[in-house]
Amino acid sequence: MDEMTPNVSNAAVRVDGLSRRYGAIRALDGVDLTLERGITGLLGPNGAGKTTLLSILATVAEPDAGQVSVLGLDPRDGAERVEIRRHLGYLPQELGYHRHFTVAAFLDYVAILKEITNRRRRAEEVAKVLTITGLEDRAGTRIRALSGGMRQRLGIAQALLGNPKLLILDEPTAGLDPEQRLRFRELLSDLPGDPAIVLSTHQADDIAAICPQVVVLLQGRVHFAGTPAGLAGTAAGRVWAAGERDDRAHLSWRGGDARWRHIGEQQPAGAELVTPTVEDGYLLLSHAAGAQ
Amino acid sequence: MTSSFPGAAGAAGAAAAAWHASEDLLASYAAGTTEAVASWSVEAHLTDCGSCRAGLSAHVDPERLARNRSALLVRAATGDGGRVRRLLRRCGVPDHVLSLLAATPSLRVSWLLSVLAVIAVVAGEAAAVSYGWIPGGGPVTGHPGPAALAPFLLVAPLLVLAGVTAAFLPVFDPAWRLAVAAPFSGFTLLLIRAVCALTVALVPVTGIAFALPGPGWLPVALLLPSLALSAFALAAATVMDPRAAAVTTAALWALPVLLLASADVPLLIVTPAAQGAFAAVLCACAVLLYLRHDRFELGWMR
Repeated sequence: MDEMTPNVSNAAVRVDGLSRRYGAIRALDGVDLTLERGITGLLGPNGAGKTTLLSILATVAEPDAGQVSVLGLDPRDGAERVEIRRHLGYLPQELGYHRHFTVAAFLDYVAILKEITNRRRRAEEVAKVLTITGLEDRAGTRIRALSGGMRQRLGIAQALLGNPKLLILDEPTAGLDPEQRLRFRELLSDLPGDPAIVLSTHQADDIAAICPQVVVLLQGRVHFAGTPAGLAGTAAGRVWAAGERDDRAHLSWRGGDARWRHIGEQQPAGAELVTPTVEDGYLLLSHAAGAQ
Repeated sequence: MTSSFPGAAGAAGAAAAAWHASEDLLASYAAGTTEAVASWSVEAHLTDCGSCRAGLSAHVDPERLARNRSALLVRAATGDGGRVRRLLRRCGVPDHVLSLLAATPSLRVSWLLSVLAVIAVVAGEAAAVSYGWIPGGGPVTGHPGPAALAPFLLVAPLLVLAGVTAAFLPVFDPAWRLAVAAPFSGFTLLLIRAVCALTVALVPVTGIAFALPGPGWLPVALLLPSLALSAFALAAATVMDPRAAAVTTAALWALPVLLLASADVPLLIVTPAAQGAFAAVLCACAVLLYLRHDRFELGWMR
């Protein structure tokens, strides 16, 4: 498999003018993006087009218009599409499972779909991803008997089969408790082979914790692409902490310390500026997009 | 696995206590690089010598041990798939193909039981009417009335079609997105599943047709229509939504069968002239399927 590695290209993914409609709904509306290798977080509310974008990158859905290049290959070309799939690990948002399968049998099945036909190699590969995801003692458990967090880990395990060069993970932390999310972050940071990773989430703290690159997708358009620090920086000078509520702010909420946090242009009475977080930057962007 | 000669370890136990495996020998044994004879003697010695066992553990790579343990657990959990699978493997069916079939709903026992139940009901009805156990359209003695066969004629090929459809409709494959995003050819996967589903469904249909009162050629007569319907559904799925393709195909069979049944000539649908038409449909669909098989590589969302 290795003699047919994809073209060496710095960008893991490049899309130009990507659009996709579902009936009257415009899921993606002229998306231009270049994603470097490393981990990219795709941030946006439900319905922003994250899943559509990821399923196009995973060669599952086709765009209506626009150019797509994944690992330097064009998914519209039959042979190149198969080549992309050979180097792809994909966790769909709604990964269905054959519930009567055991964990090991399901992974074995996916390994075959990934063209690992040798039985011995398959067992080793399955064992490897079970170990990485900490599921090795569940190999014989039926999928219907797994908890939600374990199923999510199984989903990640199947994506890791076959040493993919690109991992596309659609909401990998959904349904995980804080400790499991921490484990997931650990897992991503020392994956063998150092694959490029694109993951979607609506948790800003996931992004801040693990993604050197972040893309904010709102209503099918890219509203920000850069570093988490850059995203936080977009809210600089507009995040305030105060003892009282202020109605002029775009957004206000009371934090755990009983103080009010305001995002807005004007300084509320008695408020002081605070250092914005990634979440502040994201909230401000989505507020601005909603006001348009 | 110890390979010592029976009794040898016990008899030599006292003498062997004086001898210990060298560090080098233990290291090469742990790495799996010792020759067979040396391995056997090390193993024989290890069963009796605690200090050498302790010495050996220092040479074992814990990662390799963990990997082997996991691989063993995986092999135990995937199993060899039972008697049917062992038999098929012996007949030369590749093991990975059998694994792909395990995810086909229409090959599961529950599905097959439902097929058998439905076919038993319609066949039972036909038999009961024909033999005069219950009053019905046919004459009580002599040749069974063709009208009694109408439900069977209607349902049998549809059951085959349902099996094939379940092999390719995304709703029946919960992990279909994974299958699409994987490099394994979608068309090959479809064909493997469809052919197996077809074969498995044809067995009860044909078998029960033998037991039914009616013309002796009835079991064979259902073969071509079943094949043609399945091929039509697959070919139609390359030009329209797969669900619509399945429903359209079923309707295209049900309509003429019901019309002919209402005209009291249900067997017309399987006469030689009709068989010729089914053969033509089968060929045309096979060609279309071959020409448009790329559609099955693209995924289903369009």
